[in-house]
Amino acid sequence: MIEINNVTKSYTMGEEKISALNEVSLTVEEGDFMAVTGPSGSGKSTLLYTIGGLLTPTHGNVQVNGSMIYSLTSKERARFRRENVGFIFQTFELLPYLTALENVMIPLSLAGEDSRDQEKWALEALEKVGLGKRATHKPNELSGGEQQRVAVARGLVNEANILLADEPTGNLDQKTGDEIMSLLRELNDEDGQTIIYVTHDQSNAKLADKVVGMIDGRIVTRINQRN
Amino acid sequence: MRATTLVLKNISRRKGRSILNSIGLILAIAVIVATFTISSSMETHIGEEVEKYGPNIVVTPDTQSISIPYGNVMVGRSTLQENHLTKLSEIENAENIRTISPKLFGTAMVEGENVLLVGLNADSEVYLKVWWEVTGELPVEDSNEAMMGSEIMSALDLSIGSTVTINDSEFKVVAALNETGSNDDYTVFLPLHVAQGLLGMDGEISLVDIGALCSTCPVEVIAEQITDAIPDVRATPVKQAVETRIKMVEQAANFSLMLASVVMVAGCAGIMNTMVSSVHQRRREIGVFMSLGADNTYIYKIFLFEAVILGLVGGVLGSALGVLSSMIMGPLVLSTPIIIQDIPVFSIPLSIAISVVACLVASLYPTWRATKIDPVSALKAI
Ligand SMILES: Nc1ncnc2c1ncn2[C@@H]1O[C@H](COP(=O)(O)OP(=O)(O)O)[C@@H](O)[C@H]1O
Ligand SMILES: [Mg+2]
Repeated sequence: MIEINNVTKSYTMGEEKISALNEVSLTVEEGDFMAVTGPSGSGKSTLLYTIGGLLTPTHGNVQVNGSMIYSLTSKERARFRRENVGFIFQTFELLPYLTALENVMIPLSLAGEDSRDQEKWALEALEKVGLGKRATHKPNELSGGEQQRVAVARGLVNEANILLADEPTGNLDQKTGDEIMSLLRELNDEDGQTIIYVTHDQSNAKLADKVVGMIDGRIVTRINQRN
Repeated sequence: MRATTLVLKNISRRKGRSILNSIGLILAIAVIVATFTISSSMETHIGEEVEKYGPNIVVTPDTQSISIPYGNVMVGRSTLQENHLTKLSEIENAENIRTISPKLFGTAMVEGENVLLVGLNADSEVYLKVWWEVTGELPVEDSNEAMMGSEIMSALDLSIGSTVTINDSEFKVVAALNETGSNDDYTVFLPLHVAQGLLGMDGEISLVDIGALCSTCPVEVIAEQITDAIPDVRATPVKQAVETRIKMVEQAANFSLMLASVVMVAGCAGIMNTMVSSVHQRRREIGVFMSLGADNTYIYKIFLFEAVILGLVGGVLGSALGVLSSMIMGPLVLSTPIIIQDIPVFSIPLSIAISVVACLVASLYPTWRATKIDPVSALKAI
């Protein structure tokens, strides 16, 4: 379970003070499939990174499975991300000099897993996203949709229970985007992973069990649309 | 896959640029290796010359009744015992003694003239006195053969092959010593034992010229050992131009090492610059690594490992360049051919170690900066 309590994240730009998040509170249950929507600049990415332990809030706290993640040391928080969180980005963020398989191996490598296990598990993850046959390809030899699948595989290979996706379909055409969305849906259905994704697309938001709408750093709508 | 594999894969895709950025370092290492190589080869070279540069220790009887100047020393009537010379092989630095040339001085009647006579071992003497130019065959020990100085040759109207009477014995002139501008030009040289017989001084010698070579021990020490070992003699060290030359080589080496350290500072600045820009270019990648759970230790690991690789490659390339350039420049500048054996064994591993350490030091600050990167803004930057 993820509990966000009164989180404010403010930036000072010269004279001006911007609150990317303004007193936000939110609870995400284990196994939730949640969409975050809202106009550009409303704080969606900020919310996602704050949940993922990547962005220390100005006020408030974030509690994941009972531990206050911003009370941890930065080393412990890195470990928390390694073991519990998978990030998926709009721009994929694969390392261009590594093959698909090697990209998926990175989180396992960071966790110090044995080389043979790394390869075995990374290949399993690639098969899960339907890319078993493309394991030895470099990112520039893969289509956008395939690259995003590799990124999804990288996000789930460490058996993270939380998958955070920041506009995962933003750089993909409609059809490929839909494929990625149904892949995420499948992972949630089959493995019960908690998935939170940011989207601009109303049809993508419809797939979610819960939709959170943001404006100006505040959560303005909370819709529960399961069944 | 390990962190190191990752670094190697990353470096291998920008080999060219990395090497380009390491040029300062490579040059510094090259200068260091070349300096070590050239100066050590010059030292060996000078060492070889020392051996033939002339005597650097003169052994004379302790009690002198000064009568004849000979070279640097005054030679008297008193003598020392030839059989005492075996003690020379028992001194501590015996292996540093390369050449021993015992001599007996006297006067003899040659064709009715009273002339200076020197009994010697011609081979050793010629070896020590590199400036001697001899025509003909050197006199052989125990034979009635003579070598004559140039002045006396022409004064007596002799030539090689002539027969000459010395103290009533017949000698064949086998060799002529070309003009030296010293007493030698007026001297008759006979084999040592023949001269002893002729002068009625069997087993006696006037002085011994010794060529000793030692780069770590001063000749003074060897001279002292000789004085202690043989009764009633004094061994005197003779200062050599060679020592001055060794000093000059050392000074030149110090200067070029100083030059190398200046280049090294520039090289380090280059590496620092490379690392800073590497960190900057890879902000996004670092952000991704952080989001995947990399901690500061990991960031240090990958950048410092990259520094080690840069240092190793720079060290190896620099050493190769240093060896190559000293082999090309040695013969041109110093007219000494430089061979692989001239490279001091320690210099290459030492230079590579210096290179690695320099890269590590130059990378500390850029790496620290990398750990301070905010992953979120790194990932947001387009
Ligand atoms: N590092 C930053 N410095 C200053 N302002 C920032 C920074 N990051 C985000 N912001 C501001 O915070 C607000 C929310 O940003 P973000 O969470 O990226 O919005 P969204 O993802 O909904 O488009 C925006 O106004 C943005 O300009
Ligand atoms: Mg955003």
